[in-house]
Amino acid sequence: MDVFITSKADFDSSIQRMIQQNEIYGVKRKTPSFAFDRLVAAEELCLDYDITVLPPTKYLLPPTESLIKFKLAPEPSIRSSAEAQPCILIGIHPDDLHAIKLLDAVFTGSLTDVNYLARRRATTIVGVDCVNPWPYSFAASMGTAIPPRIFDLWLTDLGDEYLVEVGSARGEDLRKRYLKTRRAREVDLRQRNKVRQDWLKKYQLSLDMPPQEIPKVLDEAWHSPLWEELGQKCLACGSCTMVCPTCICFDVRDGIELNLKEGERYRRWDSCMFDGFAKVASGENFRPTGTARLRHRLYRKGKYMLERYGELGCVGCGRCVHACLVDIASPVAAYNRLAKEAR
Amino acid sequence: MKPKIAVFDFTCCEGCQLQILNCEQEMPDLVAALDIITFREVMTERSDHYDIAFIDGSCTTESEIARLKEIRQRAKMVIPIGACACLGGVNCFKNLHPMEDVLKAVYGQAAPYYDTIPARPIHAVIPIDFFIPGCPIVKEEFIRVVQEILAGKAPYLPNDPVCAECKMVGNVCVFDKGQTCLGPVTRGGCKATCVTGGAVCWGCRGLIDEPNINAEKEILEKAGLSIKDIVEEFSLFNACQEDVWK
Ligand code: SF4
Ligand code: SF4
Ligand code: SF4
Ligand code: SF4
Ligand code: SF4
Repeated sequence: MDVFITSKADFDSSIQRMIQQNEIYGVKRKTPSFAFDRLVAAEELCLDYDITVLPPTKYLLPPTESLIKFKLAPEPSIRSSAEAQPCILIGIHPDDLHAIKLLDAVFTGSLTDVNYLARRRATTIVGVDCVNPWPYSFAASMGTAIPPRIFDLWLTDLGDEYLVEVGSARGEDLRKRYLKTRRAREVDLRQRNKVRQDWLKKYQLSLDMPPQEIPKVLDEAWHSPLWEELGQKCLACGSCTMVCPTCICFDVRDGIELNLKEGERYRRWDSCMFDGFAKVASGENFRPTGTARLRHRLYRKGKYMLERYGELGCVGCGRCVHACLVDIASPVAAYNRLAKEAR
Repeated sequence: MKPKIAVFDFTCCEGCQLQILNCEQEMPDLVAALDIITFREVMTERSDHYDIAFIDGSCTTESEIARLKEIRQRAKMVIPIGACACLGGVNCFKNLHPMEDVLKAVYGQAAPYYDTIPARPIHAVIPIDFFIPGCPIVKEEFIRVVQEILAGKAPYLPNDPVCAECKMVGNVCVFDKGQTCLGPVTRGGCKATCVTGGAVCWGCRGLIDEPNINAEKEILEKAGLSIKDIVEEFSLFNACQEDVWK
């Protein structure tokens, strides 16, 4: 394993140099929360944050993006809009990185999404262990509080120093170019294990079963009274899915210029919680109630994604738990309750 | 042939017409694509032979009813623009009082010479073909609707609540700062511009098609609003839709 140590003071000046030479997005204060945003100065970067309003996946699947540009005249033509500027994302938490792993499976698996692929390839990932989990997260119990090995660099806060784990050639290149490091020793690694164990204990919400068992619980839960109980309170506002790092749904629309000669096909985040999501051309809506939509969302997170892509559709970040103004969106509350009902 | 366009003003601040004029960048393309033949705010010429009538403002007098009926007869398409025209808007405040009192308050001794009726949205008077909500309308949405009409498509009317776009732009929810908001039941399409700008959503784009009013009231109450506060919050733009939210 390529593991190094850098002092925090050195790290700050490394970041400053990185900012000067790269497009770099990091976690900044957005009172009373935090948000990923373009970094202009090293001191803006907050690596001990609890949560960001939107997950970093917004850089890989932006809220809206152009897919193709087309011209109808003089000659009909289309051009793909897929392109991406190289950039560095710094401060990604382990659970959000698990979400990126799922997005990779969705968008670069059997079908390739050229826009996603272009952005993904252009993105360097520098993650950090979560020192201060917020009260809504249940990542520890989902097994997502330790990062999957798809990062370029990974940081662990050891007090006055960061432990830096290199995960790829690109990460090694970044380390060599910008970081002042020494090799980590056995004692540093032991220290990392220790602090990681301490942080795991800080999570306040927890799933009452191993995450692999969620699909089994859901198999028995289709007719549970829970769906109706929660569903009737639903605002169909989509907040729970907009903030979710594993949500991948989008709507595709065409726009045409006033001259009717050229236009653009673009996509925009969509949500299975909107009442029009499952409406089809005949006017039929196959999930017309909050009850049906809420159940669908929680089956998707806890079962369908796993069956289709090999990863659970929830990484336990807790954003939906907090974002839902009527307190009905929490996957952990729902799964725990359903497991209890089954017993 | 270019469609002939007329823009009419009823009871309003004319802010929505100004928004059309604010489409500075698109103006050359707009006038190339449309034949604007009546638009009192910007031109003196006028004609009664129009295809599409955009209507700004709500209906608040008997004479406005007659005028609207005439427009409906002449136009192939009638499209109210803005909160006043689509919802009745802030004008509906006066509906809370007897009309005589309203007249007296505004015109004093001259009150007997004026006529007034409770304010109402355009669709309460004549059938409409589409509407562009907002106080004022969003320029980009106006342009998009024109593009879609020109392309022969049914214009798209957003029906997702303001919250969705509010999240997309990455705002911290105002409920997290101890404020209250009508975003969860209000028709999106404005990119949650008021929240982004540091305020809250007052519901100027009207309610979505199936708002969960009980849930919204519950969160407003939880945030500390009294029943009276809640009524006030809904009344600002949506007084005419009292039957839905009361
Ligand atoms: S479902 Fe909720 S807790 Fe799970 S990943 Fe999405 S936002 Fe996070
Ligand atoms: S579950 Fe909550 S956040 Fe999700 S759509 Fe319904 S009300 Fe909105
Ligand atoms: S909707 Fe608002 S901006 Fe438009 S005319 Fe009415 S008051 Fe003015
Ligand atoms: S600030 Fe208002 S519009 Fe934005 S998410 Fe919160 S309730 Fe919805
Ligand atoms: S945020 Fe609300 S009040 Fe502001 S423009 Fe949008 S709908 Fe209107």
